Amino acid sequence: MSFAERMLKIDRRIIFVMIGLCTLLPLLYPVGLPIKISSEVRGVYDHIESLPERSVFLMSIDFDPASKPELYPQAIALLRHAFSKNLRVVTMTLWVSGTGMADQIVTQVAKEMGKEYGTDYAFLGWSPGGSAVIINMGQDLSSAFPSDYGGRRTKELPVLSGVRSLKDVGYMVSLGAGRPGVEEWYVFGKDKYKFELGGGCTGVMAPGLYPLLRSGQINGLIGGLRGAAEYESLIDQKGQAVAGMDAQSATHIAIIVLVIICNVFYLSLRRAARSHGQIG
Amino acid sequence: MDATVFGAWVATGLTLLIFSFLYKDNPLFKLAEHLYVGVSVGYTIVKAYDTVLVHLVVKPIVEQGEISLLIPVAIGMLMLTRYVPKAAWMSRYAFAFIVGMGAGLAIPRTISSFILKQVEDTIRPLLSLAGSDGVTFSMNLLNPASNLNAIIILLGVSSVLFYFFFSIEHTGVGKAVARTGIIFLMISFGAAFGYTVMARMSLLIGRLTDLIEYSDASYGRPTIWLLIATVGALIVLSRRSRTGGQKEQ
Repeated sequence: MSFAERMLKIDRRIIFVMIGLCTLLPLLYPVGLPIKISSEVRGVYDHIESLPERSVFLMSIDFDPASKPELYPQAIALLRHAFSKNLRVVTMTLWVSGTGMADQIVTQVAKEMGKEYGTDYAFLGWSPGGSAVIINMGQDLSSAFPSDYGGRRTKELPVLSGVRSLKDVGYMVSLGAGRPGVEEWYVFGKDKYKFELGGGCTGVMAPGLYPLLRSGQINGLIGGLRGAAEYESLIDQKGQAVAGMDAQSATHIAIIVLVIICNVFYLSLRRAARSHGQIG
Repeated sequence: MDATVFGAWVATGLTLLIFSFLYKDNPLFKLAEHLYVGVSVGYTIVKAYDTVLVHLVVKPIVEQGEISLLIPVAIGMLMLTRYVPKAAWMSRYAFAFIVGMGAGLAIPRTISSFILKQVEDTIRPLLSLAGSDGVTFSMNLLNPASNLNAIIILLGVSSVLFYFFFSIEHTGVGKAVARTGIIFLMISFGAAFGYTVMARMSLLIGRLTDLIEYSDASYGRPTIWLLIATVGALIVLSRRSRTGGQKEQ
């Protein structure tokens, strides 16, 4: 068996260890590689910056703990930005399995920023129906969420005064890990009720949402951990996402090198087989 | 032991049990996998019961007298007739209502959002008229609205659509156009795969970040102790399965 053949049949666990080390070492010894801000992430940031104080910022935390590593830093960064701009922050989720985590995220950031529940922010919780909830909110927000997560009547919350439906929302961002998520908020929300919409999503979903971005159907997109790191850099509060960028870059380099090496070995084997007359 | 420390031990233990699959399929991984499924389903059932049945159905009917809610409750109850063979036909009315309403809501909105808007965005002027400059052509590849990108999109959409047009044989010029379509498709698959790799690595980064945090003395160093325990258990399981196999032989 030639060297190339042995390398192509290498135990996959060796590759797992390599990738593991490429991820672990930069987390333990960060280098601090520069982060370039993309126009799609800046789109979300600029829109929040342009909102006047006490505007209503609606954030739908449409993910569960399975997507936490990518979307949790996005949620934290967006909430910190919105609270620092003194916006009225209204949060909710369309994912039942993410309810507890969403409550924990909102409560944690609000406490850190010294915000008061009911006056500065609210967490409406989860309501059944998926995209039907969006339509319902477009008609009457209090009928979609008669009470918030803690059981208080939404009509009586000062943070929601003057907010009857989605038309009264200054800006809306959906952080989605699937369906319902950003697409549903566009299809059943923005397209019908005409409010400004931005999106945050997992890396897997990002390529599918770029057409919406280009056509202006959403005004910004935060894609994966990389997008979260860009947003953390924009608000100058570097957190989990920025810390993970060195590891992300290291693993990407390792994967690119492995792909190149595998192709070199594959082509050398092919050439050897051809010279021995085994392939056409 | 407070809840945070206990949570750190549980999270670390389950992460390591799931990671043990990278070595090979084993009972520890199975245990964590089944726990994950069970806890997810249990959590969803409890939340759905509390939010839907208690807060959106029972309380409004009993406390506020919203009798009209009995209509959706009755339609929902029809679904349960599936479990009674003789009355199962009644569930069709509930399904008909859901399918009809869902299709009615989704079809026009989806056509508007994903077909008409996207077609509108694809058909852009290849040249721009810019005031006194007359006709201009912008070459900036980084600007999505540039004329060069409009031409690339036009080429991509046309060639990919032609590639999926099987009524004529792809020969001659047709073959060249179809090949161009394949190139655009490959670039798109490559971009999607690149993002997928990035996403999966992000998940690994997330778990490793937590494992590093939980190796701190304030949590009782669960990462170190549970890593030793997991490796030990894997060695014992491996030896046991080896001796079991030898006995069978």
